[in-house]
Amino acid sequence: MARPSRTLTRRYEDELRLFRTRWSQAGLVALVALWALTPYVLADDFWLSVLDYAGIAAIGAIGLNLLTGYAGQVSLGHAAFLGVGAYSAGYLGSELELPFLLWLPAAALIGGLLGAVLGPFALRLRGNYLAIVTLGLVFLAEHVFRNLRDVTGGNSGRSVQAPPEVGPVDFSDLSFGGESFSNNQGWFWLVWGLVAVVALLAKNISRTRPGRALQAVRDRDVAAEVIGVQLGRTKVWAFAISSAFAALAGGLYGSYQQFVSPDEFSLFLSIQYIAIIIVGGVGTIFGAVLGALFLGGLPGIIERYSDSIPGVATSAGGDGFISVFSLNQAIFGALIVGFLVLEPRGLAALWLRAKAWFKAWPFGY
Amino acid sequence: MRTVLSRRRLAAAAAALLAAGGLAACGGADDDEGGGGGGTASSGEPGKVAGFDGTTIRVGVLTPLTGPVAVIGKPLTAGNEVFFDAVNAKGGIAGKYKVELVQEDTQYRTDLTVQKYNKLKSDVVTVGQVLGTANTLAIVPQLRRDGLIAAPASLDGLWVREETLLPIGGPYQVQAINALDHYVNEGGGKGKKVCSFTQDDAYGEAGQQGLEFGAEKLGVSLGTNQKFKVGDKDVTGQVQRLRSAGCDMVFLVATPTDAGTIWGTAAKLGFAPRWVGQSPAWIDELGASPLKDYLEKTVWIVAEGTEWGDTKVPGMAKMVDDVKRYKPSQQPDYYFAFGYNQARAVAGVLEKAVQSGDLSHDGIKQALEGLGTFSFDGLTGDYQYGPAADREPPRSSTIFEVDPDKPFGLGTLKYNAESPHAKEFTFEKADL
Repeated sequence: MARPSRTLTRRYEDELRLFRTRWSQAGLVALVALWALTPYVLADDFWLSVLDYAGIAAIGAIGLNLLTGYAGQVSLGHAAFLGVGAYSAGYLGSELELPFLLWLPAAALIGGLLGAVLGPFALRLRGNYLAIVTLGLVFLAEHVFRNLRDVTGGNSGRSVQAPPEVGPVDFSDLSFGGESFSNNQGWFWLVWGLVAVVALLAKNISRTRPGRALQAVRDRDVAAEVIGVQLGRTKVWAFAISSAFAALAGGLYGSYQQFVSPDEFSLFLSIQYIAIIIVGGVGTIFGAVLGALFLGGLPGIIERYSDSIPGVATSAGGDGFISVFSLNQAIFGALIVGFLVLEPRGLAALWLRAKAWFKAWPFGY
Repeated sequence: MRTVLSRRRLAAAAAALLAAGGLAACGGADDDEGGGGGGTASSGEPGKVAGFDGTTIRVGVLTPLTGPVAVIGKPLTAGNEVFFDAVNAKGGIAGKYKVELVQEDTQYRTDLTVQKYNKLKSDVVTVGQVLGTANTLAIVPQLRRDGLIAAPASLDGLWVREETLLPIGGPYQVQAINALDHYVNEGGGKGKKVCSFTQDDAYGEAGQQGLEFGAEKLGVSLGTNQKFKVGDKDVTGQVQRLRSAGCDMVFLVATPTDAGTIWGTAAKLGFAPRWVGQSPAWIDELGASPLKDYLEKTVWIVAEGTEWGDTKVPGMAKMVDDVKRYKPSQQPDYYFAFGYNQARAVAGVLEKAVQSGDLSHDGIKQALEGLGTFSFDGLTGDYQYGPAADREPPRSSTIFEVDPDKPFGLGTLKYNAESPHAKEFTFEKADL
């Protein structure tokens, strides 16, 4: 039987497959190999910790992307849910000493429930007005974190001793095959494994009915309601699922860093997450991951190489017209601005464009 | 790829090599054996370990070099640098090992502090400075696991009992008690109304705790305690409440930017109590600001050491000399002196570790425990080190008055004031 020369969709099953072509299957294998081997090749604590933080940020950013990118609900309150997750890890994991497999989902659940409470506000407000309401949430959460001392430790923060133990396997102190691995290596496998799980979950949400409902709401909520999308339920659901992902990321953050303080979950963190999804690409799942890697890894890369620029002082009182530390901040800011001016659709667009070009080759113009 | 097994083997090989008078290096991804492979060569010289290549000792610095708190981080780090420059000019630690600082910018953020700590931990023998209470707390769990020692640039009372930390100076609580005692018994404060105005965080709590302790011992009944958030631009409400409560003395726990806002508001409202500020509330620029007349009339600062250039104190004479020699561009600065002093304690620990021929993380820890009573040449009170449970921080403080003509903008009112009640204060271990 003759086969079509290109990836033509002929059956509904074709639509459902995430990895249809040989290329994408090879890509999947390559990704898994990369995930398994990175901690071996890159046994450097600093770079591993940057990647661990980036993975945690990717999980949170996927959540925000579902809410902002897919459902069009702008939220500046993301930091509050990250904080809720982190403190849940601290309280449930180290105070009540629940196992990892219990406290992590519980943290996500708490975040999701709190997010669902926010949903109804979004029914009455849109756009900038909604952004202001969610902004209030950050300050409210900070007040609670500072004053609910029994749970949060108050102003000085609290330590989080909730090691990621799944049954007999402790990711913070891995050993198998007669070899031991460091905290950062174990965490890398755990975090990026979870990124894959969360990305798959989000991808499946986005391409099924609930996801289409989210996108319909984003594009025109009145029209969406006319064709039978239940506006109230959809918005509440979008807030709940996005907050649950944020709290999941927050729980991992607390457990990984072993310490959380209320100073971390400020408005600035929310803005960073907005920056991650904008730079990565709004309304794509892998854009959130790319954005987290880009914004998480960039300062490290700049730092690694910027002190070789002539005329840059490498210490607090060194000679030079600008200290390396101020320069890092300036380069970081300039890169973000430049990136958004030149590529408003984010990193994801670069990839999609390249892919489209190869797909349509030799007519890729 | 490195694993513990191969590293164990390496360590064994290192020990064998060292016994033969050779040297071996060790390092790797695993972090539950910080340093590793350290040992003593037959000649009594420390072996090569993480952060020591046989000639240069590398010391980490985790401090805000950008962002709002860089006004403290930069001069403090410059103080570290000048002290070690002076040490290196004499040949270095024990006269032969130069010290090199590895600086990392934390932007005063806990997550960055943890990241940067991860970056430098396998590259240094100890962390010679970590700035900020929350930032120090954030790395304590890791310090415990890696067996590293860090020197906090913060006077929190929590550090006294923490075996992974090398604190210096009298804690904030001690400052508050000494200041209150001085006000009541020598500053005409008998029967006057004492209130407080504190930053709404761990640092504010420490000062308030000391004030409450002192008040109870001295039989003073405290008036209102007002709070503000870091970066508040409007504190009119709180200042009004302090005024209507009839406060004669207000103990202020703040950092320089907020202190400026608060004193500016009080001056505008014509409220002029006796302000007593905790040491980090002051910055030299305040002494040259339009507020200086108001500050001169009302403000005392409780800190340590002495005014810049007071050659009666031997430590100060040496510091001024070192600044002239190694960093002539350095303006007299209050935080510089702290950094300079801190480096002195770090150098003391390194000297001791070199003496016992072990610069590994474990060797540094042993050196700190065996340091005994350490003198700071009068720049701050002597600190009795040793096992964390037996440590005894200095209990003296210096009360300064604002004097715009002096180098810090501060003149000494009472050098080394030591309230008997400051001795009674007991320190607890941080509940981490």
